[in-house]
Amino acid sequence: MMNRRIMVAIAAIAGLSVLVACSKPASTEAPSAPEAAAPAAEEAILPTGLTAKEQIELRQAQLKKLGKAFKTISDQLKSGSPDVAAIQEAAASVPVESADMADWFPEGTGPDTGVKTDALPIIWEDRVDFEQKIADFRAASDTLAATAAGGDLAAIGAAFGDTGGTCKSCHQKFRADD
Amino acid sequence: MSADSSRVLVWDWAVRLFHWLAVLLFVLMWWTAENWIMDWHRRIGMMLVGLLTFRIVWGLIGPPSARFAAMFAGPGAILAHIRTLLSGGHKASAGHNPLGTLSVFAILAALCTQVGTGLFAVDVDGLESGPLARFVSFEAGRQAAEIHEISFNILLALVALHVVAIVSYLVFFKDNLVRPMVTGRRARADFDGAPVADNKASPLRVIVALVLAFAAMSAVWFAGGG
Repeated sequence: MMNRRIMVAIAAIAGLSVLVACSKPASTEAPSAPEAAAPAAEEAILPTGLTAKEQIELRQAQLKKLGKAFKTISDQLKSGSPDVAAIQEAAASVPVESADMADWFPEGTGPDTGVKTDALPIIWEDRVDFEQKIADFRAASDTLAATAAGGDLAAIGAAFGDTGGTCKSCHQKFRADD
Repeated sequence: MSADSSRVLVWDWAVRLFHWLAVLLFVLMWWTAENWIMDWHRRIGMMLVGLLTFRIVWGLIGPPSARFAAMFAGPGAILAHIRTLLSGGHKASAGHNPLGTLSVFAILAALCTQVGTGLFAVDVDGLESGPLARFVSFEAGRQAAEIHEISFNILLALVALHVVAIVSYLVFFKDNLVRPMVTGRRARADFDGAPVADNKASPLRVIVALVLAFAAMSAVWFAGGG
């Protein structure tokens, strides 16, 4: 009887430990050290005239605009009766909003600033490839805007896929998993 | 299916098929998400819409061991069950035991949350989204995706707990709960002569549940733009 009680207790503990191990979100692993050093790096003025924090928030806002434009295009492509004008407007906004994308990532705006960012340090270590990937995206989004203006939905779908591919190939290497 | 009087039906075939399809689709959803195979993630998610609808309807019109109302056990019954387990005693339950019922409701609720948020979720780049995401803003879609991720961790924990519980019953009480979920039956002797309700699935009711499941899938499919 006693033995069995102990065994059941062990089983319960094993169960709970599996529970805890599995439910621990991966994002809590960020070390707390950078946060202590944060205020200085966060407020440092960059050559762009912005603080690191402002620069990071600015690019996040820009990237969010791009995300919204892509959602508009993808929503319309999925709907039974796509609104071509909405696609054209969204597609045209992408090259405009992303014109100076390479400048959104000056030195000193990485994760070591203590500001929450998914930008990986490798952006500044492999700058040539990073800028190449931005150029690829810019070329694809120009094509997307031009294709959208043409109004051929099948072609727009293909150009949208190509543009999305350039997003992904850059994010894979230069952005932390969200 | 020959009726062997020494073995009694505890799970009807629809419940068993639901259970193992849910396992299969859960694994496939996890795998397609990890590998970012989003077109298949959406397709399988659509099947889950049908599967969950079927189970919910079956919980309302199915045989006793499948029904939600019959499963409900008060906190008293749950505590009594835990006390019995801790004292090393164990009695077979025809259907879900009081603790198992909690697990069923929790897993079903987590699955519904998972599928429900998935329908509206949008990825951070606005490139991939659930079939109903075009009815919500980018921000709302992102919010759905956040919940989708949190509820997956909860679901994973619940599944782990479920498996640990099944293994515990096998190891400590020599009670194999997997076999009845496959064959549907267990020895009548396990119930010490207590009567066991008739858990046979009525074909007509299965059809009703299937029609409703199909209707739910079609509704999402057409709303999503086909």
